[in-house]
Amino acid sequence: MTIVSGAMDEVSPPPFPPPQAGEGQGGGIRLTEQQLRARRSRSIAIALALGAFVVVIFVVTLVKLGSNVLTRPM
Amino acid sequence: MSVTLARIEPSIAGVGDYVALLKPRVMSLVVFTALVGLLIAPGHVHPVIALTALLCIAVGAGAAGALNMWYDADIDARMTRTAGRPIPQGRVTPGEAAGFGLTLAMFAVVTLGLLVNWVAASLLAFTIAFYVVIYTMWLKRSTPQNIVIGGAAGALPPIIGWAAVTGGVAVEPIVLFLIIFFWTPPHFWALSLYRTEDYARAGIPMLPVVAGEAETRRQIVIYTLILAPLGVAPWFLGYAGPLYGIAAVATGAAMIVLALRVRAERQGHAASKQMFGFSILYLFLLFAVLLADRLWGGLAAQAVSHFAA
Repeated sequence: MTIVSGAMDEVSPPPFPPPQAGEGQGGGIRLTEQQLRARRSRSIAIALALGAFVVVIFVVTLVKLGSNVLTRPM
Repeated sequence: MSVTLARIEPSIAGVGDYVALLKPRVMSLVVFTALVGLLIAPGHVHPVIALTALLCIAVGAGAAGALNMWYDADIDARMTRTAGRPIPQGRVTPGEAAGFGLTLAMFAVVTLGLLVNWVAASLLAFTIAFYVVIYTMWLKRSTPQNIVIGGAAGALPPIIGWAAVTGGVAVEPIVLFLIIFFWTPPHFWALSLYRTEDYARAGIPMLPVVAGEAETRRQIVIYTLILAPLGVAPWFLGYAGPLYGIAAVATGAAMIVLALRVRAERQGHAASKQMFGFSILYLFLLFAVLLADRLWGGLAAQAVSHFAA
């Protein structure tokens, strides 16, 4: 993410500033290969952690409630 | 109005960097001592609940490590031993580490409370807060007693493990707490004896930096003389068998001999390095033998009751 610095109330920045190094067209960020790889590995790790968390909650629920899951009062 | 905003670079932190923030080696010792506290506790807990408790304790310990690295990034960068950590290396920003640590800490405490019990969760929250606020933010940079008092955080996991089973605290885990508490100073001071320049450069008032090597060697002996009898206490108190007693006496005697060699050392740091290395083995052996002793005792009791029936 790029945040343009400058005097906000003095000179209005052009609507589409020319791309700088590391930026794509229209000022968006173009990630390097290393950044893309790092982001992908982090995303996978977060997905696995969340999946593991769901499994833990599910299994502990079964252990704590057991067959009472089906017999609880509605 | 003029507002200048910093350019925020996309992160290059990989999964390995986040794992490093958790201090896996410290975490493994925490999990091991908590496991011992959990297994020697009276009563029964479902294995899934026990595993959940250990997972929460591990994540909580990792969160404390990440928050420690966030706050100590400046001094980590000045020490050879810690300069390779993710924040000084620029792979993880301090903000990322702080967010990571706080999120994990919250998850660990709340999950432990909801799935196991709130006594264990409160103890875990206290441990994390003590390590981060009392030790990292306050004591570490201000007093040579930093690792003495701060050692309480590292000593609490057996109590948390015990509380996860019983929902309370008793003498047995408190003795384990005291063993780790009195083990911490000779362990870290042995290390700091041959890392004195590192600590001095970082401005950390470790005992050898502030009081000198001779005083540090003397204090190592004093704490080891308190530690060795404490190591035998579980046997005297009757919740460990003779196997543990023999191991505790033998390894405690070895610790005293090594401490005396550190005291007598005039040149070099061979004895200090030996003491540091053996102290890790000492704590591991004490807890491993206690665990084996209890498990063996439990199996033997089960066998006796089985045949008696």
